[in-house]
Amino acid sequence: MQEERLAVHLRDRPAQLLEAKKKGIKIIGYFPGNYVPEELIYASGAVPLCLVHGGGSQTADAALSVVPHVICPFARAQIGERLLKNPYYSMIDMLVAPITCQHLKKVAEVWEYHGDLEIFKLGIPHQHNNDFELEYFTDRLRALKDRLQTFTGNEITNERITGAIDLYNKMRELLRKISSIRRTSPSLVSALNFVKLNHASFYADPAFMVEVLDSVYQELKGKHQAIDTDKPRILLVGPNIGYGDYTVLELVKAAGGEIVIEEVCEGIRYYWNKIENKGDLFQSLARGYLVDRVPCAFMRNSAKKRLDFALKLVKDFDVSGVIWYELLCCETYDSESYFFAQKMGERNIPVLILESDYSTAATGQLKTRIEAFIEIIKGVTG
Amino acid sequence: MIELLKLCGFEEHEIESELPRIEKAFNKLGITDEDIKRGKQRLTKYYDIELKGVRKVFRLIVRELVDAMLLKEEGKKKIIYGFMSPGVDVIGSAVVTKSKEMFVIHHCWAFHIVFGCIFGKMVPILEAAEKKWLKAGVVAHCANVKTLVGPIVLGLFPKPDLLITSGLMCETAPKTLDLLHEIYDIPVIYVETCHDRGIGEYYDEIMRTAALTAKNMKILAERIGDVVGFKITDDMLLEVQDAKGKLQNAFSKVRQLVASSDPLLLSPTHDNIWMCLNMLTLSIDDIAEAVDAIDTLYEELQERVNKGIGVVEKGAPRIMVVLPAGQTDPRLEHLLCEVGIAAVVSDTSIPMPMPSGKELKDPYMKYGLGIALQALGPCLAIRIPIIVEGCKKYNIDGVLDRFHVGCRVVAGDALLIESAVKKELGIPVLLLEWENFDPRVYNHEQYKRRLEVFKAMMTKKSS
Repeated sequence: MQEERLAVHLRDRPAQLLEAKKKGIKIIGYFPGNYVPEELIYASGAVPLCLVHGGGSQTADAALSVVPHVICPFARAQIGERLLKNPYYSMIDMLVAPITCQHLKKVAEVWEYHGDLEIFKLGIPHQHNNDFELEYFTDRLRALKDRLQTFTGNEITNERITGAIDLYNKMRELLRKISSIRRTSPSLVSALNFVKLNHASFYADPAFMVEVLDSVYQELKGKHQAIDTDKPRILLVGPNIGYGDYTVLELVKAAGGEIVIEEVCEGIRYYWNKIENKGDLFQSLARGYLVDRVPCAFMRNSAKKRLDFALKLVKDFDVSGVIWYELLCCETYDSESYFFAQKMGERNIPVLILESDYSTAATGQLKTRIEAFIEIIKGVTG
Repeated sequence: MIELLKLCGFEEHEIESELPRIEKAFNKLGITDEDIKRGKQRLTKYYDIELKGVRKVFRLIVRELVDAMLLKEEGKKKIIYGFMSPGVDVIGSAVVTKSKEMFVIHHCWAFHIVFGCIFGKMVPILEAAEKKWLKAGVVAHCANVKTLVGPIVLGLFPKPDLLITSGLMCETAPKTLDLLHEIYDIPVIYVETCHDRGIGEYYDEIMRTAALTAKNMKILAERIGDVVGFKITDDMLLEVQDAKGKLQNAFSKVRQLVASSDPLLLSPTHDNIWMCLNMLTLSIDDIAEAVDAIDTLYEELQERVNKGIGVVEKGAPRIMVVLPAGQTDPRLEHLLCEVGIAAVVSDTSIPMPMPSGKELKDPYMKYGLGIALQALGPCLAIRIPIIVEGCKKYNIDGVLDRFHVGCRVVAGDALLIESAVKKELGIPVLLLEWENFDPRVYNHEQYKRRLEVFKAMMTKKSS
């Protein structure tokens, strides 16, 4: 029932947002990676939209008229979605572009060059060993607040920020609880459904989404049972899963595997921690979004931290194999895969490294490799 | 060997005293008699080695690599490598000026010139890195980073006491150093840079990002001070910055002379030699030698102007080259001259406008501002007008954008630079997808044909 409610909401969402625009409400897009506090956008009275479409070759290819193939397919898809008039991408009034990897940074530059969109570049220090780096990010969040106030004409009060943090904390907590059900009962919520739910949270009205997630959780909780399947339990690691990039998730399921948990930088809302909702709220947001989280691979000193987190997930979710799913030309994840596979190998944890450029032509090869991997795990654990 | 060293500007008395060291260093690098022979051929073919200024520059470069190869045997107490972190040359110069027992180097630069440009031996180095995490293929990992990893995994470079990098131009360098730290247990420090200024605030907010870099540089200087065992003072850094400022001025005079020349005075093969010289960690005395080399070159070029001597025909089409010259292989730049195209200026040598009233006393802020003003650092919307205005200023007939696929920052701009230049100036643009540090991409016949067509388009347009 919740699935249908959500589907109807998402179907009607572009029209609702266009109506809102007519009433003067601003639609503000931002790039994924979980470095942009959407709480600030929400507190400004604007609608935050995380631009996370990806997975289709058509949009990624359309961007090749603007940027070369060495820009990753997800970043190219962001350019392509706008070129091909995706309604969400066409309706945004402003973009908040986090300075994260070079690929998404380049997309923001391309959009900035075309000059038809207000852009705020949110500086993200790539390390936070020193206090001044956190201060820098805090300062940039204050600058974002100022820009949002000017742009929307609404004052962003502490009260409004507190309300927004509270709302998004609820969303994160519910996603965490739903995800954690997979620890013991993976068949209750498939990876594909969980990722779709997660993606929906980027486009749906946040208050509505919290309501849906709560209902989903209540339904699942009632059915909760002990380990309910003997399928190989997989951890999925990677830079990005776009809204629509579901081939690997589908292939793993079809091959008889069960992705029980994901560690993905872009495309999956980071739900492990909540933002502290007291004290200096900007410091709190800065800490929550920059420090208290697992860093993406483009951050400094991140390989070991990310490995340790993956090993924890392997243990906590009783994982029997890891699929490392990267996008073609993502240089940081590709480099790190060497180290990751080596370290997992030392612990006898099988790793399959896959890469995609969103081309459908590669699906057959992906299918064969995933099937073989699942068979190998079955052989090891069976 | 002696002939090769003479070509590289070594005087006879110096050869006599230095030859054993140089032979030892070259042996470590696996340089054979065959390589020496090839090196001599390449030096005379690709460089204006008859110019004393050019030879003097080669001497400084070769000397730094030799020192680098022998630092263990010669008892250097601490070894620090900088990689894609430009401030290291300044702090490094301060360190080596103060103590001969320390060694700080931007390793890739001298190695690229000697091992790559002179001896043409870079391929096995790249292949060694590709067997690790920088695999070959469509992913297009930057070969610059491969030239750091290759020598380390092959044991050519000794394990340093500290590695330094920044995210100034890419994430590949810091990620690689992250892995070098995890796999080889080498301490690493990262200098933070953040390109977050939008087009409307680009110059107004420059001090904000400069300050972030400056704070990181200060910490870097403290860390280096801990490693080498003495404090790096502001005065030491200001002295180096002052000396390097003189070197910049000398370069600037040469560049202006070349940019306004017809016929073209000097082959663009030399562009990366200047870049390398600027990045060496020279002591204050050696920087003075570098200034002398460039001043000598200027006088020699002025003489060419007076005599009407050039390296391409007078009236040849004038182009701007976007991005630096091939850093391990001079063949493409040489081919430009062979085809009869005058590469008079590069976008990277066009100075960025310094915000007014920004004369700084603090060496770290000076550095931070320099980084914030780097020609390749700006966003696309700032870069394009620099190129377009540069084309107008230097009366350019066409633009060659040889974009380095290993670098997402510059590769990502190429298509829009092309369309903007064509739209705003109506001049031909040739895009060459290539790898700045990988000689395997060089395809003579294909490049020659494309450059000939490019030249014909420019000639037709101007006639």
